[in-house]
Amino acid sequence: MNKNKYKSVQGKQKAAGWMFLAPATILIFVMSFYPMIRAFIMSLQTGSSANMTWATPNIFNNYTRMFKDNLFKGSLVNTYLYLIIQVPIMLILAILLAQLLNNKDLKFKGLFRTMVFLPCATSLVSYALIFKSLFATQGLVNDVLQKIGITHSNINFLGTTATAKIVIIIALLWRWTGYNMVFYLAGLQNIEYSVYEAAKIDGANGWKTFWGITVPLLRPTIVMTFIMSINGTLQLFDESVNLTKGGPANSTITMSHYIFNNSFGNGVANFGYASAMSFVVFIMVAILAFINLKVGDTRD
Amino acid sequence: MKRKALSILLVSAMALGMFAGCGSSEKKADSGKKEAAKVDTSAEDEHTLSVFAWDENFNIPALEAAAEAYKAKDPDFKLNISTQSQSSDVEDAVTLAGSSGDYSTLPDIVLFQDHFINRYVNDYPDAWQDINDANINWDDFGSEKLSYSTINDKHYGVPVDNGTVIFAYRTDILKECGYTIDDMTGITWDQFDKIGKEVYEKTGKYLLSMDGNGNDLPYMMLQAEGVSQFKDGKPNFVDNKTMADIINVIVKLKQDNVLYLANDWSDYTDQTIVGDMVAGVMNGNWIIPTIKQVKDNSGKWAITSIPTLTGKEGFASNGGSSLYVTANCKNTDLAKDFLAYTFGGGEGSKDTYDNALKNGGVITTCISAGQSDVYKEGVDYFGGQPIYQKIVEMGANVPTVEQSDYHYTAREQIAAAIHNIDGGAKAKDELKNAQDQVNFAMGNE
Repeated sequence: MNKNKYKSVQGKQKAAGWMFLAPATILIFVMSFYPMIRAFIMSLQTGSSANMTWATPNIFNNYTRMFKDNLFKGSLVNTYLYLIIQVPIMLILAILLAQLLNNKDLKFKGLFRTMVFLPCATSLVSYALIFKSLFATQGLVNDVLQKIGITHSNINFLGTTATAKIVIIIALLWRWTGYNMVFYLAGLQNIEYSVYEAAKIDGANGWKTFWGITVPLLRPTIVMTFIMSINGTLQLFDESVNLTKGGPANSTITMSHYIFNNSFGNGVANFGYASAMSFVVFIMVAILAFINLKVGDTRD
Repeated sequence: MKRKALSILLVSAMALGMFAGCGSSEKKADSGKKEAAKVDTSAEDEHTLSVFAWDENFNIPALEAAAEAYKAKDPDFKLNISTQSQSSDVEDAVTLAGSSGDYSTLPDIVLFQDHFINRYVNDYPDAWQDINDANINWDDFGSEKLSYSTINDKHYGVPVDNGTVIFAYRTDILKECGYTIDDMTGITWDQFDKIGKEVYEKTGKYLLSMDGNGNDLPYMMLQAEGVSQFKDGKPNFVDNKTMADIINVIVKLKQDNVLYLANDWSDYTDQTIVGDMVAGVMNGNWIIPTIKQVKDNSGKWAITSIPTLTGKEGFASNGGSSLYVTANCKNTDLAKDFLAYTFGGGEGSKDTYDNALKNGGVITTCISAGQSDVYKEGVDYFGGQPIYQKIVEMGANVPTVEQSDYHYTAREQIAAAIHNIDGGAKAKDELKNAQDQVNFAMGNE
């Protein structure tokens, strides 16, 4: 009798738990998972969005088509180039900055931290437009380079294949380094100062302390920032659209930008193919994040 | 331990965020649609029509002029103009209505870009009503312009503006180098190149500029030769001798500092034209308001036809839009009558087009309306030259060439090819790549 009563109280509590969970769960399903399922179905279809039919000759035609699409392959190479060059530089810079700004004796710490973090407060579009005007043929960067005598004529940074890519990478570094630094800073503050003191007594120099203490203890944060950066870079869109419009000659176009072009650019509403490409990006992000978690996880 | 738990929590939160992030990238594709305004055509009385249009300095004054003109026939007439921020908003509104199968969000009439309408009629056939039986004398329009709005042998739209290409030159700069506007008329591109080199050496100004990312030059130059980028519905780049010649010309012009290729459209307009870098502008006549933004150069410009490979006068057309009746229009008779009476060359067309020209600089393709006195007036900015009459005359000579729904795809691929050829790549390979890519986009593989 008593036992039953106890059970029903527990049951009530359980029910209440589900009640509290329900709104968020339903919202996530309706707003996130349902569109994802629909997008997957759409990725197997072709034709105008008013009258979509299953892809022919086989249902995965949109996926197999991608292998023949030089522009998609090009956008893939561009995106991975940004990923491989920009993410390591950014994270190393972020960790160094965090280390510097974590110094106990540093004055105006708050001011410096705010300054490094501030780029993250600017909107993606406006910072891209500012970089565009900085690196314009008659922009500030060209002016400065000529005044100090490094170059002698205006360089068309955004109109040349190699420099356009470099400008995008510089812009990304400026925008996102501070953001990642904040995570490292938070991680560093969780490391007890006494650990460092102990290392000092044992005779470890700064370099050794960094590799022996800071990096291992920051590992979860590093894994997290890696996953976030990979995810963000693979979905890079605003910089490609606003800085270079994918040009010159599609040499800076990213996967997301190409997907957008297939959905809305040029009046071509090719939703089936665009959805298929979105799913490929999704799978890539998932695989890379999985590898990262495995590598970063030291528990057995 | 606590820290570890926290970090695991953070990582899993990020993994979740990643899913949410992917979800939002699916949604990103839809975000453009939300901007579409809503209308309720069923609530309109029998004297009211609604329309979606863009450009407050160009198309909107034309529509207002038409609404005013139609009041002579129906004093209670009211045209609800819903101004969109850009042409793609109208396209997105149709895409949204077509994808959901619910056309009730569309107005009675939409203004639509000529290069896109063919595909939209084929993709969303239920979104439109043809206006074949409207009381319009179709012979009164330039045939090239009508070729866009005539789909599957049915008339769907009434032309509003005119995309006739002009070549505007700075006569003062030409004079400095010993040339006149007549010397620029009916010349070959080689002669143009020679003059352009002189102009650059003497004045430091380019004789021509273009947006290098969405290069309009190959299309216009090809049309002036009477050749299309397409043949029998497929891109025709590789075996197209004219195309190869034209690309050679463009690359040579660029390397001789005669042509300046800007990085994008806003650089093209703001930097090269408004920034006074050029002594010549070649584009659809809707570029005139941009040229006029440089007040200091008033009276120094003149317009003429474009050069060709052979030296005959070249005529082409680029851009423009027409008005289309949607499936959501309940009062089709009123819509057809309104269009026929105003833009369609009916009794109100003189008032409509005269005021559209005065208030918006919109030039007609309607041949009878183009004979109005307003068109004969000289324009001070162009040294008193009656440019509107000249444009209407040139418009009648534009050859009709094969059009395609993939016009802009082709344009971008060719622009990319030109960039690479300029950088040293082989023309033949690049044109082959461009053609393959357009074929791919069209599903011709």
